[in-house]
Amino acid sequence: MSARQPRLFTAYGFATTHDALAAEAAARRAEIHVTPIPAPRELGSLCGIALRFEPSDTASAEAAFAVAGLVWTARAQISDI
Amino acid sequence: MVDLMEHAGANPGRGTYGMAMAASRTVFEARRDCAALLGVKDPRDLFFVSGCTEACNLMLKGLLQPGDRVVVSSMEHNAVTRPLHVLSGRGVRVDFVTADTAGLVDAEAFERAVAEAPTRAIVCQHASNVTGTIQPIGDLADIAHAAGALMLVDGAQGAGHLDVDVAALDVDAYACSGHKALLGPQGIGVLYLRSGLDAMQLVEGGTGASGADEPGQPLDRPERYEAGTPNTPGIAGLGAAARYQSAHGAGIRATERRLTVRLREALSAMDDVVLLGPAPHDESVPVVSFTSPRAEPDRIAFELDRRFGIAVRSGLHCAPWAHRTIGTLDTGALRIGIGHGTTDADIDALLAGLDEVLA
Repeated sequence: MSARQPRLFTAYGFATTHDALAAEAAARRAEIHVTPIPAPRELGSLCGIALRFEPSDTASAEAAFAVAGLVWTARAQISDI
Repeated sequence: MVDLMEHAGANPGRGTYGMAMAASRTVFEARRDCAALLGVKDPRDLFFVSGCTEACNLMLKGLLQPGDRVVVSSMEHNAVTRPLHVLSGRGVRVDFVTADTAGLVDAEAFERAVAEAPTRAIVCQHASNVTGTIQPIGDLADIAHAAGALMLVDGAQGAGHLDVDVAALDVDAYACSGHKALLGPQGIGVLYLRSGLDAMQLVEGGTGASGADEPGQPLDRPERYEAGTPNTPGIAGLGAAARYQSAHGAGIRATERRLTVRLREALSAMDDVVLLGPAPHDESVPVVSFTSPRAEPDRIAFELDRRFGIAVRSGLHCAPWAHRTIGTLDTGALRIGIGHGTTDADIDALLAGLDEVLA
């Protein structure tokens, strides 16, 4: 495992892969740094693609989702590297 | 497709490692581009399937229940009539409306048929794979909706040959083949289902997305209708085809139209040819069929292939109902498909070959 220290991120889960990728595209259009990650346990489901953001980008990410008409199904603070 | 298989041959929607994300993005972009080509406003309403046959099966078996009644054109392909045959055995009433001898359905005849009894859906092809006849789908959709019924379309010969806009047509479902006029590879197709229309899926299984611990199939689109590993190479090819069609489709269709009129004019002027379907200048997709008193269609097809390297198809074209309608069920017909890449020189060669074969 990495020697880097874990820190907090905000993760979002979506109902479908399509929605997750649409949300990723929406975030990139809004120039928000986004990282696809395997869905973590904190989102309530262990399958599929989740999106990880810096906590400071949470509001702008959710605004970008709303502009794109996308609904996230779960949001959680996760400790990640 | 080759690039995808070499560099992104992973399962889309499952992992987030580089190859898997590349595969996922390929599917996402293909769905977006196919939706844009077909006038589908929300790409989530467009599902990748193995071809138009599966799309028709999902459209019909997913939406029709015992006790339902459907009104169907007599020009349909077996991809529609065979699922309906199965459904009729399950209590779905199937009533046919007979087209004219050119293969064209009469919207007023559909209106009368729909008025006879409560109707769940009108089912009609967008264009005939036998005669090339284009059906009045917009009018039929109006009739269906006025009666509270659905408009379900087999678009195998429509998408690509016609500038299809499902929103403008106001249809509830539209089934497409990937490998025909859309110019994609075999083994891939799409089905559009109007948003909110609750069709039962044909297959259950893994979708890769959230809810994997739930026992039932997720109801979220598009995953509900795409259980299992998708045909990602085929989807990549169809996505590329959709982008090509968006850029060049109008020009392709104009050339197909010109060559079709030219061929129909030439065939209609030949003494030993009985041209089927629309008159030379009538609107049609680039499918041209004929019979001849000089030779059976299968002999003509064989001679054209062996002597001149010309590929045409004889027989019933998996559409016996259509052949019964136009009076060729006993003989079949010879069908010529004009497509992207067909040239005037090809038409010249065909006509010269026919002159010899029918001499």
